[in-house]
Amino acid sequence: MNQEARDKKQESRETDQWIIETKNLSRTYRLGDTEVHALRGVDVRIASGEFVALMGASGSGKSTLLHLLGCLDTPTDGVYRLESEDVSRLSHRARADVRNRRIGFIFQSFNLLGRASALDNAMLPLLYRGRVKGAAQQAMEALARVGLAARASHRPREMSGGEQQRVAIARALVADPAIVLADEPTGNLDSRTGEEIMQLLSALHAEGRTIVMVTHDDHVASYAGRILRMKDGRLES
Amino acid sequence: MTLYNTFKTALLGLWANKLRAMLTTLGVIIGVASVIAMLALGNGARAAVEASFRFLGADQVQISERRTIQDGEFRPVGAKLTYSDGLAMPSAVPLVRRVSMSLGGSAKVRRERVTLDMGFVATTADALEQAVSTGDYQPVGHPEGAPLTAEDFVGQGRFFSPAEVVDGAEVCVLGAQTAADLFEGDDPVGETIHVNRMRCLVVGVIAELESADAKERYRSQVNEALYMPISTAIRAFYETEPSVNITAYVRDEKRITEAKAQIVTYLRDRHTIEKNEAGNYEDDFDITTRQDVLGAQQEAANTFAVLLAAMAVVSLVVGGIGIMNVMLVSVTERTREIGTRLAVGAQRSDIVRQFLLEAVLLSAVGGVFGVAVGILTIPLAAALNQGMALLSPASIPLSLGVALVTGITFGLYPALRAARLDPIAALRYE
Repeated sequence: MNQEARDKKQESRETDQWIIETKNLSRTYRLGDTEVHALRGVDVRIASGEFVALMGASGSGKSTLLHLLGCLDTPTDGVYRLESEDVSRLSHRARADVRNRRIGFIFQSFNLLGRASALDNAMLPLLYRGRVKGAAQQAMEALARVGLAARASHRPREMSGGEQQRVAIARALVADPAIVLADEPTGNLDSRTGEEIMQLLSALHAEGRTIVMVTHDDHVASYAGRILRMKDGRLES
Repeated sequence: MTLYNTFKTALLGLWANKLRAMLTTLGVIIGVASVIAMLALGNGARAAVEASFRFLGADQVQISERRTIQDGEFRPVGAKLTYSDGLAMPSAVPLVRRVSMSLGGSAKVRRERVTLDMGFVATTADALEQAVSTGDYQPVGHPEGAPLTAEDFVGQGRFFSPAEVVDGAEVCVLGAQTAADLFEGDDPVGETIHVNRMRCLVVGVIAELESADAKERYRSQVNEALYMPISTAIRAFYETEPSVNITAYVRDEKRITEAKAQIVTYLRDRHTIEKNEAGNYEDDFDITTRQDVLGAQQEAANTFAVLLAAMAVVSLVVGGIGIMNVMLVSVTERTREIGTRLAVGAQRSDIVRQFLLEAVLLSAVGGVFGVAVGILTIPLAAALNQGMALLSPASIPLSLGVALVTGITFGLYPALRAARLDPIAALRYE
């Protein structure tokens, strides 16, 4: 085997460790005549089972990075590998599939379907997979995991903020995703409820979940194992 | 997402805003209801025309004097259509088998001290056979569905014979009511009465008749009648030859157009009608076959159909625009929801299907209710159109189908807009 092949083999072995790997990841928007460089050449490596916090001022690019990691957006430059697969330039259809199977989202404002029960909300990703058999069962298990099995038939408006966020977490977990992405998960909660949610995320992390979380709160960030700080679209070293 | 779940999702989406959904379907309901009602009007008109020409058999050609309205009165256009025109027709026109004629007028009818002012009907001897084929009246008490013969129409005595028509005999046949009015219980047959001063022998009385159509059973007029040979009436009552109505029976139904042409030629010859300056014949007679009537019907129906189609298109476009408008608003209101669905892995096609199904449900429900409302409105439409409105069965699947197409057409754009939302922007939407 020549040196080039050996180098390639070495590289792929190294790459295989990372559940998330980005190289020179960039995202530029055009707003009228100006170009906005939201993300400038970001290199990130996250191992399976890590709990990483992304911090920075607004406009630092942390949300942009999270959206790219969640395949909600495509980079203008660079590479993003999720579970060693290049997902940077997938079609709409393929990206939707990745979001469905491999990514779980948690949002600041919960984003539940107001007219559906907790169970239906938790089930939603499974319904889009076309699979109906056992979906209710899996959703119940997810709700049980977040401690809301008793509230399965209740609607969001009948629940507190903390309970709603837990339903959202159950939804994020239900399809057993590779990574869980959280965007300011405690932003709309009071400090005590926020604590509860962070405890839950901690517990999930302890079970082996890979979590990437955007936050501006140092205390919340302290739950993470690693903090990445961003400024002006770049990672601060 | 499975169709079942998409259906459930769409249904929940509409249910969340029931009032809005109901108001939106109103446009479709009105559109569909008016299509049903209009088609019923057209159908009823067609049926009424067909019914009124029921007596015009496929082997008959109807000829009468042509008139115009001058100074508010009907005036003949040219020469009269005479009894001798009719008499000579079977021998002069090869395709005409035989001829039946009639003439109506008014008379003073007197027996002893009783005088009646009434109308008379002067006919050829086959008047009863005509009545059978027309089928408008039947003897009272005639069993339903049993076949009618000319004999059934005779109550007492007999009808006058062809020989009596040829001779111009002074005989007559009375309607049941007229016989009762004149003879008050005495037997009229063999008695003499005076018709416009002419002495006339009563040879028979018609059985009491009623309308064959159960809905129109009024007995008064048809039983007040006096029948006499047409030749007798012409000779006795008219100084100048009157115009008669002629029904020509052709030998071969399939050649009726040819027969009609032959009759026209014959009459033009007898009445000395030639081409005018413009190259047209100014006929002084009207000649009709069943084909003519049906042809006219066809034309009217086609015109109606075009008008109707235009109306339907307009009303359903209005309904469809209503649906599109509401769906666009709905999509905007649910931008967050759409973003969430996309984030958890909904395909764009899933979103399109969800919102398209909502629009289709709206139009389908509107269609069903529209059909119901339309059917209920038909009696009202009939009242406004002299009773002529009949539900056309084909109009139901037709308007349902069109309603569905409307839903799909006008629901597509909002559904596509929903699917094209950027998930990130949608998730942030306030």
